[in-house]
Amino acid sequence: MAISIGPHLDAETTEKYSLEQLSARKTAEIETHLLICESCRKAVAASDAYVAAMREAATRVRKTEQNAMPRRHVAAR
Amino acid sequence: MVERIQANDPSGMEELYGIFTTGIRFYLCRQLGPQDLDDKVHDAFLTIAQSIRRGDLREPERLMGYVRTVVRRQVAGYIGTAVEARRNFVDADHTPILRDRKPDPERTAIEEQNTALAMRVLNTLPRRDREVLVRFYLQEQSPGQICRDMRLTATQFRLTKSRAKARFTELGQARFARRLGFTASMEARRKGSAPAQAS
Repeated sequence: MAISIGPHLDAETTEKYSLEQLSARKTAEIETHLLICESCRKAVAASDAYVAAMREAATRVRKTEQNAMPRRHVAAR
Repeated sequence: MVERIQANDPSGMEELYGIFTTGIRFYLCRQLGPQDLDDKVHDAFLTIAQSIRRGDLREPERLMGYVRTVVRRQVAGYIGTAVEARRNFVDADHTPILRDRKPDPERTAIEEQNTALAMRVLNTLPRRDREVLVRFYLQEQSPGQICRDMRLTATQFRLTKSRAKARFTELGQARFARRLGFTASMEARRKGSAPAQAS
């Protein structure tokens, strides 16, 4: 049985999928493609890892900045 | 293949397995995590085969979309069951029943290493670029809003994002190469210090 694989995901779409920023229709299209496309699954896995790492790192950076803020105010006085 | 599955021909199921196992596994793991994954994949195939045999798939050429729909419903079912179980237990006892499963140490270590790399990337960026990334990845602001608020062009925004990603990849590859080098040197040392075999 011939199964059509459809177009591969570009980098922007892959990241939007990781960020859950796509429409239900587009998500369905991508998830159907991912069922049989190994290279796009690898790209999505890498993108998921990157997005998760950036979120966590950004959370920590934000906290550090917020903690440093009162001290900076005190120092300024 | 669909006709063979409907006719209970094992080769039909074999082909279905061959085509979809990895993809279904990937989807289920991404949505639900690695716990009991083999059982969940098995359940998915059972459901798909049963519904094909019942004649629910009327157009065989829509098999891929159909598989995705079935697996998606299965995920929704697992989530619904977990939510319901948690609600019932909380009602009965005021303490949560569904404690987090024991984390996978290897997975946790990889995630921590990735976060450390992302921290290195963010900390070496100019303050403004870092702010762009924090707004995008943490606060989930849209590119349009970030560009307006920070007076950036779409190209500047894209460049900031792609440079950070390239740096992250570069650091990740360097880490991987270091680990490979370490493994190779340990292997060489092990071979060098291995006791000579008696001739």
